[in-house]
Amino acid sequence: MTAITQPLAPSRLRTAWHGIASVFRRAPLSAFWGIVAALIVAMAVAAPAIAPYPPLKADFRAMQKPPSEKHWFGTDQVGRDTLSRVIHGSRTSLTVAFGAVLFGTTVGALWGLACGYFGGRFDMASQRAIEFLQSFPDLILAMAIAMALGGGLATVIVAIAITRIPFGGRVIRSVVLSLKEMQYVEAARGIGAGHARLMFRHILPQCVAPYLILATTHLGVAIVIEASLGFLGVGIPPPEPTWGNMLSDALNAGLVPPWWLVLFPGVAITLTVLAFNLLGDGIRDLLDPRLRGSV
Amino acid sequence: MYSYIARRLAFGALTVIGVSIMVFVIMRILPGDPLVAIFGMEGFTKLTEAQRAAYMRDLGLSDPLWVQYLAWAKSIVQGDWGHSFFRAESVADMLMRRGPITAEIALLSVIISWLVGIPVAIVSALKPNTAADSAARFLSILFLAVPGFWVGMLIVLGLLFWFGYRAPLTGSSLFADPMANFELVIGPAVVLGLGQAAYIARMGRSALLEVIREDYVRTARAKGLNGRLVIAWHALPNALLPVITLSGVLMGLVLAGSVPVERAFATPGLGFAMYIAVSERDIFVMQNLVFLYAAVFVALNIAIDVTIAFLDPRIRLR
Repeated sequence: MTAITQPLAPSRLRTAWHGIASVFRRAPLSAFWGIVAALIVAMAVAAPAIAPYPPLKADFRAMQKPPSEKHWFGTDQVGRDTLSRVIHGSRTSLTVAFGAVLFGTTVGALWGLACGYFGGRFDMASQRAIEFLQSFPDLILAMAIAMALGGGLATVIVAIAITRIPFGGRVIRSVVLSLKEMQYVEAARGIGAGHARLMFRHILPQCVAPYLILATTHLGVAIVIEASLGFLGVGIPPPEPTWGNMLSDALNAGLVPPWWLVLFPGVAITLTVLAFNLLGDGIRDLLDPRLRGSV
Repeated sequence: MYSYIARRLAFGALTVIGVSIMVFVIMRILPGDPLVAIFGMEGFTKLTEAQRAAYMRDLGLSDPLWVQYLAWAKSIVQGDWGHSFFRAESVADMLMRRGPITAEIALLSVIISWLVGIPVAIVSALKPNTAADSAARFLSILFLAVPGFWVGMLIVLGLLFWFGYRAPLTGSSLFADPMANFELVIGPAVVLGLGQAAYIARMGRSALLEVIREDYVRTARAKGLNGRLVIAWHALPNALLPVITLSGVLMGLVLAGSVPVERAFATPGLGFAMYIAVSERDIFVMQNLVFLYAAVFVALNIAIDVTIAFLDPRIRLR
């Protein structure tokens, strides 16, 4: 027995290793940005351990100081360490982005599945509703919902998620429309499979690749919307640090905002969005070879 | 053609009605108690029962919801856009004063996006996988990731830091004082324009690459036409169709982006008014502004669809 299982383990490891190595060879850029994205996620998870100071601790002996050896990214108006606040800001940013995209895309995808599968009047009405949702510029809709629900982490997630629903709905619906006509689905129906079994057992698994592509491409957008909401004062309220409300605070600091309070949170947003966008492109190329090199 | 326009307009009207219902649901029903939305939880608990009832009656909030909705729809149609809860200026006056500035920014940003995006797309598509193409693609990927309002803050800060320059803070109209008006709108327009240019360069490049492979382009080349003429006269017009459609979709980016970008530049436009409404929790102004933005977005997209139908007989005759 052991003679069989033992050689299996390293070979499986080797396959995984080969897989990763081949991704690096074929798409070095996506792999690199994938690593950057992983590092940003790691930073968010380990924020309290990495950050040199507590993000809310004011230090009145070091107020609004430019970057120095003690405070690499400087301090804000009440002497809080900008580096620590940027590191902690990644937590909210990523929580909101992942939460909103997961929630919004999943609701959209299930809705699209139902629309594509059942068609008819339900589909007609749903398409109108989705059209109404898409008639709003996404940040405006998110602002209105976040304001109506009254701020805070959960409301920001819901607000951004709702703006993501139409995309999931549209894409998955069109995928389901073509899947529905496939012979294997017809065969399953012929054997006597019910609606639920057809939808979830036979059609849904084929939607996983487009779902993943959608979700990753929308992460970057979600991060920018979250930052904009924070900047406009309808995001997660201070003192909890988010990149958006840090930029807002910087603008409120005076007629001339200190450059380090403007520069670092913005660089954090840009790098994170860049990493997730390029990772999304890589995942799309990997999962959907038809689109490879088209954009 | 006319039947197409009529159909598109009818759908547009339906969409605007649907949008108004959605705005009403979001702003009036989601918050639970509108007084909580106006006064905040703390302020709300300080009000007495009688005060609450009086406010509800004065604001017309104690009527049934469908009566409230119809009253709102009627006032919108009649051009009575209501008053801010905190300011003397009526919303209609505010629109007249601030609207033109944001409209100028939007228009200018679209012009900038085409002036920057199309040449970049042409260079990229004609010399794919060269240094110029890579540079163009890198820049467009970068500009897709950078938040516009942050670029705006950096520009304001940089100008102030190195040149001691700051754009005027007060509004000035295009006709009364063109120079001051230009100083006001150019910053936000450049930021929003470059953001769109990134999308346009990307889309334009792939559209051109596709069109260049078509038979009719090869025919034009084969009959001995100058290479530049082939691109400018034969390939470009067809490649621009999807770019025009994209420009319509990107109007959403401009309308939404103008809110944080105008805050970054402290531009006295409509976007800044929306920022003020949001930060003051002024739900009535917000409700009308959100509806206006969505309605403008719908109207612009109808205009784009009609333009495309006008330019492309394949769509018109369908």
